[in-house]
Amino acid sequence: MRTAAGGWFAVLLTVALAAALTFLTLPIVAIFAQQPPGELISALGEEGALDALWLSLRTTAAALVLILLVGTPAAYGIALRRFRGRALLITLVELPLVLPPAVAGIALLAAVGPATLLGRAAQDAGLQLTLATAGVVVALTFVAAPFYLRQAIASFEAIDPTLLDASRTLGAAPARTFWRVAIPTALPGLVAGTALALGRALGEFGATLMFAGSFQGVTQTVPLAIYDRFATDFTAALALSAVLVAVSAAILLSVKLVRGPDAVAR
Amino acid sequence: MSPGGLSMDVRTQLGEVELDVALDVAPGECLALAGPSGAGKTSVLRAVAGLLAPVRGRITCGQEVWLDTARGVTLPAERRRCGYLFQEYALFGHLSAWRNVAYALHESPRAAREPRARALLESFALGDRADARPATLSGGERQRVALARALARRPAALLLDEPLSALDARTRAAASRELGAVIRDAAVPVLLVTHDFAEAALLADRIAVMDQGSVVQQGTASALAAEPASAFVADFSGAVVLTGEARRGEEGVIMVALDGGGELTALDGAPGAVAVSVYPWEIALARPGESMHDSARNHLDVEVVSVTTVGPRVRVGLAAPQPLIAELSATSVRELGLAPGGRAVASFKAAATRVLPR
Amino acid sequence: MTRALALAGLLALVGCGDDGAISGGGDADKPELVVSAASSLKEALTACAKDYPDATLRLQFAGSDELAAQIRQGVPVDVFAGANTKLPDVLAQEGKLKQPVVFASNELVLAVPADGAKVGSLDALERPGVTLVVGAEGVPVGDYTRAVLERLGPRKSKAVLANVRSNEPDVKGIVGKLAQGAADAGFVYASDVKAASGELRAIELPAVLEPTATYGAGVVEAAKRPDAAEAFVDDLLAGGCHDALLAAGFGDP
Repeated sequence: MRTAAGGWFAVLLTVALAAALTFLTLPIVAIFAQQPPGELISALGEEGALDALWLSLRTTAAALVLILLVGTPAAYGIALRRFRGRALLITLVELPLVLPPAVAGIALLAAVGPATLLGRAAQDAGLQLTLATAGVVVALTFVAAPFYLRQAIASFEAIDPTLLDASRTLGAAPARTFWRVAIPTALPGLVAGTALALGRALGEFGATLMFAGSFQGVTQTVPLAIYDRFATDFTAALALSAVLVAVSAAILLSVKLVRGPDAVAR
Repeated sequence: MSPGGLSMDVRTQLGEVELDVALDVAPGECLALAGPSGAGKTSVLRAVAGLLAPVRGRITCGQEVWLDTARGVTLPAERRRCGYLFQEYALFGHLSAWRNVAYALHESPRAAREPRARALLESFALGDRADARPATLSGGERQRVALARALARRPAALLLDEPLSALDARTRAAASRELGAVIRDAAVPVLLVTHDFAEAALLADRIAVMDQGSVVQQGTASALAAEPASAFVADFSGAVVLTGEARRGEEGVIMVALDGGGELTALDGAPGAVAVSVYPWEIALARPGESMHDSARNHLDVEVVSVTTVGPRVRVGLAAPQPLIAELSATSVRELGLAPGGRAVASFKAAATRVLPR
Repeated sequence: MTRALALAGLLALVGCGDDGAISGGGDADKPELVVSAASSLKEALTACAKDYPDATLRLQFAGSDELAAQIRQGVPVDVFAGANTKLPDVLAQEGKLKQPVVFASNELVLAVPADGAKVGSLDALERPGVTLVVGAEGVPVGDYTRAVLERLGPRKSKAVLANVRSNEPDVKGIVGKLAQGAADAGFVYASDVKAASGELRAIELPAVLEPTATYGAGVVEAAKRPDAAEAFVDDLLAGGCHDALLAAGFGDP
């Protein structure tokens, strides 16, 4: 950066950068550095750890599928229309973003818990939510959806409206315009939103514990497994944490790669 | 589908302006909508295309009724066969040039789409750029891709929104030529929007001048320039366009031999077929024989065709023999005794003579 | 601009300041004690902390095993009060805790929702299809539960454990699930049922299963105010806080 920053200001910038870098990277490095890699890997092989990993994978994938299938058209609808109460609707949709996870757990219990009408109806229909894997998916969807929706709405709003007009003048009905023009044009933003939602879902703890409980193979996702083990088997906790860090890093990297070479131009 | 004329009559509210327009365009005819920004020109195009839903109106194209609010008929945009060229082209950035064109061909069998798209681009001299993404194309190339895409479906009407304004001056000339050819070959009604009267004069058969949502006057370019219905039209229909052949003269000037007679001197331009434009208020008139010892280099013998008073100004229609318009004060017209059928000498400076490649 | 910076700096400092869980008193002269206590002690200690005269108590509640792990890692805490004697003893052996004392006892009970419970006795837990929630292994309430079930004999123990649907890291999590109707039954402490204000009903366990939990507390070696910490531990044994424990359903050691 060629500015006239010389002397004390340049030093200040460097110090600030170094401090920020250290603060953010040290805990992450520590996860990998505290125990020899061999120990970490063998800790992962332990049955409970594998169960937790597989469960986290399944439930996060299920939550994401729900979020994308329902959230993408919903975000498109909100982005394109101007109607009374639109700002309020967007705020409502974003609300779970600022909810502490414990509050989210309470909210879910109050809405679809076993003491509620909906919860009982679900149970009668054979769908067990609390203390079951489906409950984990519900909790993950609830906390992660706003991350995707917010990004998706912004991405769809940013589309040049003449592109959508052009699509229609070329004979494409609104559905085809959505699929063939809107989504590809908004794709980098949608991918970023998916990454955010994915990260949030993978790390979800409080709402899951409260709503679905903690049971190996059924509801004990990786964050819950880490919490379960950290007092008794710190190495296992480290190992699982290391995996989550690696997965999160991979997600972040792939998002960067998708956005990088993109050039949406006229 | 046999092409028929475009007929529209719409009324709707656009913010603070009420849009109230009735137009007819015959197949093969090009009607230009000219006027300042905010006049509602683009809204007319959007209404025809179905992107804007007027409160009241009727739009028909050939035998099809696209809009009839009285009977509750509204054909959605995607079912109207309009070729729309957007001002900024609106090319799909994630698709290559040929895929952009093929987007319009969804009714054709899948196997035929790519060859047809490539062939169409070929006819626009873009065959070798067919696989390029819009971001890597130049402005002129993008305009041609957008045009090809708009024509791919063999539309029943062609709607062009400021087709040349996004191009630099040099590209504009070639593009203008090409566009003229496209308009002629398309043989469908063409609605062209422009804020540049000279562009309208060059490309269109008739011009409708719009202001504040209504058509103020309709007619040929020379009729509007010669007999403006109001000061607004007079101001707007500024330049008159003459055609001729240019060559280099001495001392670096450009000499233009006008079609039909007359020679002009200009200060810049390139040899070849050109269009010359001069603003009416830059043209002075004198009685024939009274030589004018001033610095103006261009003198043409003209016949007075019409004299139209617009407030304190008078538009004098002349024939040189190409139509020419001079704007004089009423006093001068009286003193010179100008009347239809009389002769005069029109003079204007070389510096005021704008030469554009044609 | 400088004013804004100064304000921001002040806010950051204030933010760093202790917000603590619960404090008593508020007197600037009183020493401040950080106490890590088992979740089951929450209601009783919160009540007595308000009136504790000799120090300002900052209480934090969590599963005893988690709190012990924190102390092991060096988190600056003054007193540790756990739901068993095993954790304090291990910490003492590691040199992290001064000699611990047993200060209270609690009974492990089988809790069911007060209204419409599907489970009425310990035997009912063996029926397939019953939803049971217990504490996780390593958490005192979880260890007590498993020890009690072991004393039932291998067949019964296996049948009951097969109905476990969640291993909660915190006894309050079990209480929550029961109160919400998400589970049919759960093993918690008698004090937790009392604290649940009528939402739960306790089914007492036969004495032969040794359902008693013994609570041990000790002063952390690295405590900044060891004298004040000792005084608090004494209070747990026989002072205002001990009385509060009794009132909450705990027993004498």
